[in-house]
Amino acid sequence: MTQRITVKTVEELKDAPEEYREAVSKLVISHAINELYGARVFDEPAIAYAPTPYAKWLTCRVAMEEYGHHVRFKQLGEQMGIPEERMVPGTGKRPLSIFEFPLKSWEEFVAIKLLADLAEILQVEDLLHCTFHPLRNLARATMPEERFHAQFGEDFSAELVKTPKGKAALQAAVNEYFPYLPSFFGGSKSRNNEIFRKWNIKQRTNDEMRADYVKRATEIAAKYGLTLPEVRQAA
Amino acid sequence: MTEIVALPGAALDHLRAEIRAASWFAALGEPLTEGDQADAAAYTASLGLGGLAIDLVTDWPQAERSLKAPDWSPAWWDREETLRKKLLARAEARYPERALWGALTELTTEAGELVHGKAATAAARMGEAAKASIHVAAGAASQAVYQLAVARLAGEVDSLFESKFRLFAAGRWPLGVVGSRLVLF
Repeated sequence: MTQRITVKTVEELKDAPEEYREAVSKLVISHAINELYGARVFDEPAIAYAPTPYAKWLTCRVAMEEYGHHVRFKQLGEQMGIPEERMVPGTGKRPLSIFEFPLKSWEEFVAIKLLADLAEILQVEDLLHCTFHPLRNLARATMPEERFHAQFGEDFSAELVKTPKGKAALQAAVNEYFPYLPSFFGGSKSRNNEIFRKWNIKQRTNDEMRADYVKRATEIAAKYGLTLPEVRQAA
Repeated sequence: MTEIVALPGAALDHLRAEIRAASWFAALGEPLTEGDQADAAAYTASLGLGGLAIDLVTDWPQAERSLKAPDWSPAWWDREETLRKKLLARAEARYPERALWGALTELTTEAGELVHGKAATAAARMGEAAKASIHVAAGAASQAVYQLAVARLAGEVDSLFESKFRLFAAGRWPLGVVGSRLVLF
């Protein structure tokens, strides 16, 4: 059953139930860490692989926006009293498995922007009606930039598929990275997700989001003549 | 062995003031002044790529073509990257890692939002810019800020990143080296 509370400011958060405070803290920490991992592991290294100054500076901007998302989530966390060391990598929370594979090519980066940033969009979309308004507002501020990053993936996919070599390289990158992405949405029986929904912090189950993601990713891949590999679902 | 010291707050504040005072993208397409030519000459000399002619593009579509030109010079980009990495290593030896990284990230994020707005204003004023080109311009300008911050924190007061920043501060956008030409917008 959902609980109807609304927390309009960080100051009001201290009066919220402990379970609620812990739940929003987990989300803020998770976003702060994953934004930073993404920028460090994929976006910044991709600048070197980008083929022209246009693509390099566009990638610079994307990387800076991703670092900026980390900064915004970390600043919110600091206002909430979360110690800084809990919001940077290497201090406890394990990264998502996709971040354990160093970037090797421009085509891989384009595939990641096309498909991993779509997963990020779904995660942020689910916070757009969050009952903790500082987090909801941050999600709203972040959303246009996340959409632009996914569009970046689409624009450069459209370029790459113009040649058979480019299309083959992009398809290979999709085959390599896509299998890691559905697990980005968490387990089917996640206790955290149950609590997020109980307090209307998030709206959908992990499985609902995962199914929506796979549907949307399949449609986007098809726009560029790409296919998604089969993924075995873990609970 | 280098002694680890606190980040120089006054120097970072000074840089922030320079960033706020700069005329980001305000002179795009305008004829080059003597000052622009002097800054461009200083920048090309610092790059050390031999004698480069200065070329001017006057609108966004021309700038976009130049930025996608197949004969752009990776040597120019690599020269800047080599210097940036060398200076970053020097700064990392001097300051606490997390404080340095945090200061650079926050400065670049703050500057990124400012220059993005300035690029959008210039593009709206001049017309014909692709939407993504505003992001490209903001990426170029915030990279220039980051490079300058790294150089100054490394104690390098006369790096090529100073002359590059001066071009941006004067409202120009150095688009890079294509063939044997430094292209300015």
